[in-house]
Amino acid sequence: MPPESSTAKVPVEERLFSLVLALLATENGLTKNEILSTVQGYRQSYDHSGDNANLERKFERDKDDIRELGVPLETVQAPGDPGNNQNLRYRIPRGAYELPVDVSFSAEETTVLNLAAMVWREGSLSAESRRALLKLRSLGVTADEPVLGYAPRVRVRDAAFEPLSAALEKRAWVRFSYLKPGESEARVRTVKPLALIQHQGRWHLYAHDDEGVSKTFLLRRVISAVSTTGKTFEPLEGNQSELALAELEEVWNSHVAFVEVEPGSDAHTRLGKRRGTVVAQTGELELHYSDVNIFADELAGFGPEVLVVSPPELRAAVIARLERTAADHAS
Amino acid sequence: MPAKKPTPLQAQDKLTFLLSLVPYLVERDRVSVAEVAAHFGVKAEQIREAVRLIAVSGVPGETHTYQYEDLFDIAWDDFEENDQIVITNHVAIDDSPRFSAREASALIAGLQYLSSLPENADRAAVASLMSKLSRGASGLPSQVAVESGESDDALALIRESVAKRVQLEFDYLSSTGERERRRVDALLVESVDADWYLRGWCHLREAIRTFRLDRISNLTITTEPISHTAGDVTLPETLFEGSADDLVVTIDVSASAEALLADYIPDGAVRTEVDGRVRTAVRVSHYHGLKRLIASMPGVATVVEPPEARQIVADWASAGAARYHG
Repeated sequence: MPPESSTAKVPVEERLFSLVLALLATENGLTKNEILSTVQGYRQSYDHSGDNANLERKFERDKDDIRELGVPLETVQAPGDPGNNQNLRYRIPRGAYELPVDVSFSAEETTVLNLAAMVWREGSLSAESRRALLKLRSLGVTADEPVLGYAPRVRVRDAAFEPLSAALEKRAWVRFSYLKPGESEARVRTVKPLALIQHQGRWHLYAHDDEGVSKTFLLRRVISAVSTTGKTFEPLEGNQSELALAELEEVWNSHVAFVEVEPGSDAHTRLGKRRGTVVAQTGELELHYSDVNIFADELAGFGPEVLVVSPPELRAAVIARLERTAADHAS
Repeated sequence: MPAKKPTPLQAQDKLTFLLSLVPYLVERDRVSVAEVAAHFGVKAEQIREAVRLIAVSGVPGETHTYQYEDLFDIAWDDFEENDQIVITNHVAIDDSPRFSAREASALIAGLQYLSSLPENADRAAVASLMSKLSRGASGLPSQVAVESGESDDALALIRESVAKRVQLEFDYLSSTGERERRRVDALLVESVDADWYLRGWCHLREAIRTFRLDRISNLTITTEPISHTAGDVTLPETLFEGSADDLVVTIDVSASAEALLADYIPDGAVRTEVDGRVRTAVRVSHYHGLKRLIASMPGVATVVEPPEARQIVADWASAGAARYHG
């Protein structure tokens, strides 16, 4: 079946697939003209004597789409003629494209990875997971049937998540209005986004300001649209999400509250099951938390089932909240 | 929760599928379309379409004209007549592609999130799996992370009960504040962010019920055999189903906090927005839950009507405040 017979429009995936094949097969790379005039999906529209601006734009978009999938599409400067765009060559080096030979997964590991992918059922991460699973299936390992079924789900409901995630990927500075917990006026922040972290069920942005000071923002308190400033930044040393998690954990560990709970109540059962909770000798619960204002909201929900003993600022915050709710609902 | 939408495959997904399918097929001398479809979890016709495309694809080659030896080829008779795939010539691709940094990142963060599962109790094994994902990625995967949970004894017991096909027994504090001893056949463990749920057949209620793990205490495994397994019941799509007895309450909520109440707002609820405050309705099964919900959103959400609901919230908050004045 020679491809010349296909005069109908070539589907996008066939053009992308042919481009990947052509660039994997070439040692020295292909110039843009060689690609547009010979590769399936482009050559059908190539004008040997005229202007191929549309086709060139299509090629630019295709390159982005392919790179987004983790395919290392390289540009190589022509030796002896650097800076001449017409002579740039494109290739996909096999070693950087193929999964290293020592990376393989057992049936057990495949089962766990299937679950890990299932966690993302919303937003762009669900597409990433779906594609990761296809690549995993490619290795031909069959997953074990799990003993107990799991349906895990991490939600990505904050409107700021997707634009921040895209900016992170492009290492683009972002700007947004942020209402800090406990403050009544929002302020505009301009930061380098470095990682998105879910901690205690809430999404956080870990970022650096223009002086390189790390900041953590709660996504649900980003109250404007997220815009990019047009500036990009160089990648930072170190695993940023690990640093971010470590900072959040440090804050969590350093904040300790003592509360009395009504025995047998909802507060007793649920706060007792919180991570890191210790029952003190007095019968009080020793609890950890990240932010006094957010934790005060949570404790206020338990009404008379909870009495905050310390620290004083948490106690005051809970009292203020209960009084506010009572006042807002007074008849 | 919104109903599952079928996600049509985009060109990027289709390309990933082709790049994943080729090495799988090359590795096997002969494989049936049905087996491949089952392995990749897609329809047989999707496999056939992909194979037809692969079979006519290739590289431009030295002649730049896609000569026969520069193309993939398959045993066409086997394919057309027996639904079998035999690759007889392959070009350019031998091995599976790397993960993108974001793909690896999504899986690593998923593993972190699931670290409380008994399947992940072996921390060294999980760490090695994460490092393999990093090495298998084309860029540094670090953009997304989720706090790791501690190994959960309850999950380990639930899993054991399923393996032994016996009932679980535990004290359950229901969302209306009643404490009862329950016997349950475990069917599925479900989670939403930091909240974990057991769905099972409740022998007390003789129905499928959802239990919050943080409301379960004194969990044990019995010797009583189970009567229901995950295979023979159909679980409802949503964790909690609405009922005709539900109460509908009108509330005012800050527009920025409306999403936090999305699970409680019934479909088609009337919604008006004035000065950043949204007036809409929430559906709750009882005021016991409503007063906790509203009291945890002070200054953000207020009950408008009925008066009875306002009074219950006011009493709850006042009783809480009164504990500090005495």
